[in-house]
Amino acid sequence: MKKQKNALGSPFKRGFAAVLGNERYQSITVPVFAILLSLLAAAVVLLIMGKNPLTAFASFLQGSGILPKPNYAAKKSMVTDLFSMLNMLTPMIFASLAVAVALKAGLFNIGVSGQMLVSGFAASVLVGYSDLPMGIALPLVLIIGIVGGAAVGALIGWLKHRFNINEVVSSIMLNYIFSYTVSFFINTRFIDPVSRQSRSISSAARLTLTNVELGAIKLDLPLGMLLAIPMAFFVKFLLDKTRVGYEMKVVGLNRRAAEYAGINVGRNIVLSMAISGALAGLAGITFYMGYYNSIQPRVLASLGFDSIAVCLLGNSNPIGILFSSLLITVISKGSNYLSSTANVPQEIAQLITGLILLFSACGTYIRYRVSATKDELRDLKKRAEGIKDEGGDRV
Amino acid sequence: MEDYIVEMRHITKRFPGIVANDDVSISIKKGEIYAILGENGAGKSTLMSMLFGMYEPDEGEIYIRGQKVHISSPSHATKLNIGMVHQHFKLVKNYTITENIILGQEPKRRFLGLLPAVDVKGTDKKIAELSKRYGLEVDPTKRIEEINVSTQQRVEILKMLYREAEILIFDEPTAVLTPQEIEFLLDIIRELRNSGKTIILITHKLEEIKKVADRCAILCRGRLVEVLDVENTSTKTMANLMVGRDVSFTAEKKPAQPGDKVLEVNKLCVKNSEGFDVVKDVSFNIHAGEIFAIAGVSGNGQEEIADAVAGLLKMSGKIVLDGEDITDKTVRERALAGISYIPQDRQEVGLVLDFDLAENLALRDYFKAPFCQKGILRREEFDKHAEKLISEFDIRSGQGTSTVVRSMSGGNQQKAIIAREIVQNSKLMIFVQPTRGLDIGAIENIHKQIIAERDKGRAVLLISLELDEIIALADTIGVMYNGEMQTIAPANTLTANQVGEYMMGVKSK
Repeated sequence: MKKQKNALGSPFKRGFAAVLGNERYQSITVPVFAILLSLLAAAVVLLIMGKNPLTAFASFLQGSGILPKPNYAAKKSMVTDLFSMLNMLTPMIFASLAVAVALKAGLFNIGVSGQMLVSGFAASVLVGYSDLPMGIALPLVLIIGIVGGAAVGALIGWLKHRFNINEVVSSIMLNYIFSYTVSFFINTRFIDPVSRQSRSISSAARLTLTNVELGAIKLDLPLGMLLAIPMAFFVKFLLDKTRVGYEMKVVGLNRRAAEYAGINVGRNIVLSMAISGALAGLAGITFYMGYYNSIQPRVLASLGFDSIAVCLLGNSNPIGILFSSLLITVISKGSNYLSSTANVPQEIAQLITGLILLFSACGTYIRYRVSATKDELRDLKKRAEGIKDEGGDRV
Repeated sequence: MEDYIVEMRHITKRFPGIVANDDVSISIKKGEIYAILGENGAGKSTLMSMLFGMYEPDEGEIYIRGQKVHISSPSHATKLNIGMVHQHFKLVKNYTITENIILGQEPKRRFLGLLPAVDVKGTDKKIAELSKRYGLEVDPTKRIEEINVSTQQRVEILKMLYREAEILIFDEPTAVLTPQEIEFLLDIIRELRNSGKTIILITHKLEEIKKVADRCAILCRGRLVEVLDVENTSTKTMANLMVGRDVSFTAEKKPAQPGDKVLEVNKLCVKNSEGFDVVKDVSFNIHAGEIFAIAGVSGNGQEEIADAVAGLLKMSGKIVLDGEDITDKTVRERALAGISYIPQDRQEVGLVLDFDLAENLALRDYFKAPFCQKGILRREEFDKHAEKLISEFDIRSGQGTSTVVRSMSGGNQQKAIIAREIVQNSKLMIFVQPTRGLDIGAIENIHKQIIAERDKGRAVLLISLELDEIIALADTIGVMYNGEMQTIAPANTLTANQVGEYMMGVKSK
């Protein structure tokens, strides 16, 4: 199959098709190719800035605790940085899973940030400011997070099913509504006059154990991580092995076939948005009540939007998402360190993160180019063969 | 030699598995209305698509005004003064009529003597004049979304005239129009001819041809049957020529042995999405061991009957399956009550193309044991089921049960649907266009299966646009025209010609 003559297309094109053309491995090769492209683009930016891209990339890894830094402050070490990165990774995994579940049902949940905010705020107010002991507070936080997010998701799904309101529009609008409503309450009721954020929640209600001393080092233990990784496997199981997942996928892939098969399309739209919202809710509580312990008014977490790119980079596959979340979190966490050590302005570090997100979201385009190139090569091949044995028609 | 403006000589066009045009030669005089008549799939549209440059013929030559030409694209055809009004209009909805007409050939002017701009206002006037000259009654400043279908069609006509077309091709222009609008359109066509244009009219409606056409070419299965002077020919002769021929395939079948009544459809009415009645008061019964076939030209309400019985369309009236009133039941409840359905559109409705074969073969059963236990799917059962159907029905696929259905051939996709629906052991099986686009071997195979199902004592509802298929398989034939059931009669009492006449609305009860 792969034997092609030199006359059949440029070597670059043939190499491109040969490396990425195999559909079976495309779920891995295409994201890897996208990442390489993005690193290349980042390297160009760094070179223009007059920095060595390799040192810069190394400082990404140093900043997120994967490579050792030259020196550490007292009681800090590489492990501290690693756990700090994991603390940020936790909500990212949940948020990206939320996007993936909706996407499987053919829906685009761009309202992850809003759902995060609602559940984070509700859990903060109801549990975070109480004096409940940890054993009661933490399960309550989880339940409120899940229910709050699920309710918002279900609302978006219901609006789509009942009034045919595009979920993208309704979730963007709801994002604003939630953002301003929550900041109204924070500003009037829960403001901390010094930080200009909501008051810190009790440490008993916080999903991250802060400043835990392990031997000679201090670190932050993200408890949510214990749930995030199993959750990815659970979502994978739900989508691939259950009746619910099967129905959601049929609805997502071919709505008319779903109706034909007797699947209740409306129920599945509401359900998948509710599940997506619940996952976003988990992202909300691990973000506002784990990674942070307060809410900044009038700001939607950019993590909620980044999660869309992370999900696409992970091919909407829950296990792929574990890896893509790790990569993106390493880069955004490392970008702080990059700006402080390599003397790259914070903006440029952010820009590089942005570039990587941008390239990682274009897997579909890469796939399209691959198949177009393959078609082109096939045509060339056919034409060459046609010239050889003209008239040899075979039906 | 006469003055022919269009000559198509010995045109042959093949598509995979089918010869769409087989050695067709037609010659069209300047200033005449030339009709091309034929059933669905007779090759009318293909022939004209070649004249309009959408396809190139495999064999044969085209001469325009005596010059041999290779028409490579629609824009090339436009340069040769050929225009075409397609069945589905090609208009931008939120643009005005003028903007649509000039699209692609925008007249430029300089705004403030400097910036290039499109001269819409000036063109408005020009188009209003053009519209007036041919009696088209179009307001060029209206947007497409504000005007009705008939006006949209006139915009398409104006588009051709604006591009100075001399040869105007109309593809099924009356399919979407009401009777009054049809009259108006026919007037316009006459007016165009009187001003020297040459008109080619693709249609399967005989009355229209009788009313306006000068000559008429009849195509059947890709071949040219005859070219007639319309004036001296009756519509009946035309209908016979169109459908009257030896049936190309006969299916071996024993006489039917009808049993109890399985399906009772009573006063079924269905509205389409625009609120028009597409099925009007249709009633019929199907018995066990009987093939009830509904014939009709596409778009006369047959497909909607199938969807309504399966529960996919809102309807009024009453449907009784085996003594049980299923009128208010959902699709799933009806399927469980005993309805299998092979839908017309296998890729958009019958299959999830991105699922693999095993998942598609279980689309009707995935929620039942043993496929699903306590909400958890058991892939090994999916595979087992799929392997059984693959060997039983000879479904060919690259990677067995895990082949993505999108990569399978149309024939094998259809086999998969039929296999899935047959093993439901339903009381009623609905087949809509079961052999569309398939090759002869596959068609024969499917016909055998349909008869086998009947012989097992199932009730079969067969809806097809292929008259041959209906004649070959049906025990009872119902004919739909314009949403109404024209006749219901035992198959052996009707000839193909009679069915054809009912289908054309020439004959009614």
